Amino acid sequence: MREIKNPVYKIDLGLLIALILLMSIGILTVYSATFNDAVDTSYWGAKYGKQTLWLLASLFIGFFVLLFDAEYFRGYSAYFYFFTLFLLVLVLFMPPVNGARAWLGFAGLGIQPAEFAKISTALFLAKWVEQQNIKLQEIRGVFQFMGIIMVPSFLIFLQPDAGTLIVFSSFFFVLYREGVSFDPLIIPLIRRFIKTPLKSTWLGEHFIPFFFFITLLGFLTLYLSSSSFVVVGIPLSGYGLLYVVISLLFMLISGGIWLFGYRRTRVKSFTILISSTLFCFFFIGFITLFFEKVAAPHQKKRIELLLGLDEDPNGSDYNRNRAMTAVGSGGGFGKGLFEASISGTRTNHVPESETDFIFCSFAEEWGFAGSLVFIVLNTFIILKTFQIAERQRSVFSRVYANCVGFIFFYHFSINLGMNIGLAPVIGIPLPLMSYGGSSLLSFSLMFFILLNLDSHRKDVLR
Amino acid sequence: MSLENRKYLTLGLLLLTSVSFSIKLVYMQLLDSSWEKRATEIAEKRKEIVPPRGIIKDRNGKALVINHVTYNLMMVESKMGSFDTIAFAKLIGWTKEEVAQRFKDIVANEGVYKNKSSGKLEQNYRKDQPYPFLKDLSLSEISQITPHLMRFPGFYEAPSSKRYYPYPNAANILGYLNEVNREEIVKDRFYSPGMNIGRSGIERSYESILRGVKGVHYVVTDASNNVLHPYANKKYDIQAEQSPELITGIDIDLQAYGELLMNHKKGCIVAIEPSSGEILAMVSAPCYDPNLLSGRKTISKNYPILSQNPNLPLFARPLQAEYPPGSIFKLLQSLICLQENAVSINSSFSCNKSVVGCHNHPAPSSIIKAIQYSCNPYFYAAVRRVIQPNKSKNLYADASIGLEKWSSYMRAFGLGHKLDIDIDINGQRGGLIPNPEYYDKYLGKNAWAFSTIRSISIGQGEVKLTPIQMANIAAMIANRGWFITPHFVKSIGAKGPLAKYLKKQVTPIDPKHFEPVIEGMRRVVYEPGGTGKNARSEDFTVCGKTGTVQNGKGKKNHSVFIAFAPMENPKIALAVFVENSGAGGEWAAPIAGLMLEKYLRKKICNPSKEASIINAILAGN
Repeated sequence: MREIKNPVYKIDLGLLIALILLMSIGILTVYSATFNDAVDTSYWGAKYGKQTLWLLASLFIGFFVLLFDAEYFRGYSAYFYFFTLFLLVLVLFMPPVNGARAWLGFAGLGIQPAEFAKISTALFLAKWVEQQNIKLQEIRGVFQFMGIIMVPSFLIFLQPDAGTLIVFSSFFFVLYREGVSFDPLIIPLIRRFIKTPLKSTWLGEHFIPFFFFITLLGFLTLYLSSSSFVVVGIPLSGYGLLYVVISLLFMLISGGIWLFGYRRTRVKSFTILISSTLFCFFFIGFITLFFEKVAAPHQKKRIELLLGLDEDPNGSDYNRNRAMTAVGSGGGFGKGLFEASISGTRTNHVPESETDFIFCSFAEEWGFAGSLVFIVLNTFIILKTFQIAERQRSVFSRVYANCVGFIFFYHFSINLGMNIGLAPVIGIPLPLMSYGGSSLLSFSLMFFILLNLDSHRKDVLR
Repeated sequence: MSLENRKYLTLGLLLLTSVSFSIKLVYMQLLDSSWEKRATEIAEKRKEIVPPRGIIKDRNGKALVINHVTYNLMMVESKMGSFDTIAFAKLIGWTKEEVAQRFKDIVANEGVYKNKSSGKLEQNYRKDQPYPFLKDLSLSEISQITPHLMRFPGFYEAPSSKRYYPYPNAANILGYLNEVNREEIVKDRFYSPGMNIGRSGIERSYESILRGVKGVHYVVTDASNNVLHPYANKKYDIQAEQSPELITGIDIDLQAYGELLMNHKKGCIVAIEPSSGEILAMVSAPCYDPNLLSGRKTISKNYPILSQNPNLPLFARPLQAEYPPGSIFKLLQSLICLQENAVSINSSFSCNKSVVGCHNHPAPSSIIKAIQYSCNPYFYAAVRRVIQPNKSKNLYADASIGLEKWSSYMRAFGLGHKLDIDIDINGQRGGLIPNPEYYDKYLGKNAWAFSTIRSISIGQGEVKLTPIQMANIAAMIANRGWFITPHFVKSIGAKGPLAKYLKKQVTPIDPKHFEPVIEGMRRVVYEPGGTGKNARSEDFTVCGKTGTVQNGKGKKNHSVFIAFAPMENPKIALAVFVENSGAGGEWAAPIAGLMLEKYLRKKICNPSKEASIINAILAGN
């Protein structure tokens, strides 16, 4: 069997095609969302013209990236990381644009270092995890990787850029996959109160998803706090419903453990299940009590607005309301290209309809059919990325691939969620769709580095 | 659990997210139609187009009411920029304080709009919406302002319209317009703040026709409310339609002549075409120029003056005033007596002045002569036979039976109740024809008989008629027994009048009984001893009857005359009523004669008579 020497021929075609498809949809939607024949003088002078240039540049740089040897990214990851840290510090001395110091200007062209910090942090984290002497189960390792994530996060927090900051939390999920344990922090805490010979705890091992779940549960509790439901004739408040759902889940899982669980782990499983359920109950009660009794009215109002509980369609919630109207009025098959009456550039009822709210332009023009295709395409890209991650032989490539998957997943879910009213409004671009050079270029780079690493996966000896 | 299995958590999370997004999108895009409504609300605006109000013409096609273009000075606050109040105030001739006050008023009043879905009025002043700063400016006024408006961005001129009356006549008939009030806006979807509504006369009663059909224009607007283009290629637009012309039966020349004759007098003239019931003229003196009540500024200036005038020009006497009819009532009494066989044509009663006063005249040897001489004792005796028909032994019960019969005839003549005419005037009266219940109530049961109520036999006492009812009696007699309810509008566009004005109201009087009465009326005008010789014309035969209404001690009598002409195939029937002037033959008859000549001959053959009437001053105006 003849081996193909040139790694360019080994790149994952499925992912590449999906990416190029998404980019094409992106440029078309930007064109439609910014086209204004009354104002535009030439193609290249308009926003869609600029975006086309950025797209061409991204593809060019992407293919250029494919020519490098994979070792290059591993070797230089530290330099990338510290260089972007330097840029993140530098950007803080720039004049603010829209209240944030996020832009570095070069002769009329602006880039956002935070977008590129995501890639370099992913690369550097991958390199760090791969090093044999770093143990993710030891206190030293935990502090090191937390430092790697926290330093750029802190600099981004200073800009401030809440969206990108949230995206940085996705790295914790990657570390969870790599087996990071919070036991070095939790066990000494437990030992303060009781003497125990425990070396590892369930909470320490699964701290990250548990923390994520609790955060989500907290939001859900607040979200449901002012609504009421009727379940089989019984009127329930929001947290009452959560109690019912959790009790049902508890019964379901305990039944599962009883029937399918290993006999020797049964006691441990039940201990974990009962204690987590009790914790959830107390947590929901605490949040509800805080929200209803302790929080001041203006804090309550802010939380309600954040969660979209308090409708203020012409005030602070203007943008989301208009975006959801655009999405909802798209109907089954949409209004057609250039026919968007809400998000279209001529009517311009949705500000930011080409950047953070570009999904509503797309959904208004292509309807549910288009939206479904869009969700399937994005889900495919994320699934494919995770699949690529799992087939890597090197830890470096796997960690990096998982980082890419999670970053994309975060962007996709938060942005889409905010367009359809399932997530609070957080300024975060839709990957490969939203107008903006930095975002497009950084996501292209991120994926082409992934394609490069994947095409070289066979070079690594197990 | 191996670390590799942890990837399933990730995959589960991803699938959960994608599936919940898809479900939410199914709900938003496929199931919930309220988003489409919201989108319509945001992007598509309904613009309403109010058509110009309908035009009103007279029977000869002369326009009585048309629309005149006026100008509003509009303002849009968001486009104003920095604004030199002093210069602007100087331009429009106001003080700085007045300009500031007008701004406050606009925010408070003009910003009111009607919520189309709830029908409620809401206060929503918007800086990007135009509001009228000055209203109803004439061309000369606006042309002083327009050239300087470039110094004041946010201000511009916009055409508007107001009613204009080419003839200064018929004000009470045509009515006037004024701005709709809050209740009217809430009650009727057609109106929105700032629109006009008919307040009286034809303008009010034909409001639903004259206002036309409102057009609706759907447009797409952008976020700053600029109109971009029509929505859906105007597929859902409704074209505005102007009302068809209202052709009235009024002869404006006759109306104007009547108003001229009634100059400096109080009273009224009503002329009807007997064959159709169309009102040819309805003069209420004193009268006023309808242009005094057109346009917001003018109305607010003139209305108080008119309403405080002691001679009550706004009072539509032909409809709102009730008078005892006096001797003209004898015509109706004759008809009833003949129909009831209480008298025959040649019945004779002596002129016995001991029961009721009379003037000196030859003996009334027939009912024709009784009419000619207007003999009071004759009618006293004749009507007695109707009211006391000897159908009951009890005198009081007998009178009750007789009066019931009598009043039913009178009601059939269109008396004692409001005529269903087609102008809507507050306080239109129906006159009074007493019936047994009336006297039972005021005098007590079994407490009255003919001798108690005898003054009704000569048209005095309790009996009251409105002038339009008097004219209608003339028309009824001219038609020999029927009438069509008097009305103004002879045709809505080309569709003819309302259906109720095509129906003949037939009285229970046999047509043959009219001939002696009409002959009596002719003799009133033409025979020696007749009281109406001042209404005489040589070219056509006038049939008339005078009335002199006693008016209490110390006041001059009201002068009444009803007539129709020509005798055969009558073209015009009329009633003239001159308050506190004198005998019927003295004032009302010559005025009636001039009106008949004006209508039938188009020229006056006795200018000295005309001049003496026009120049007579019986009341200040």
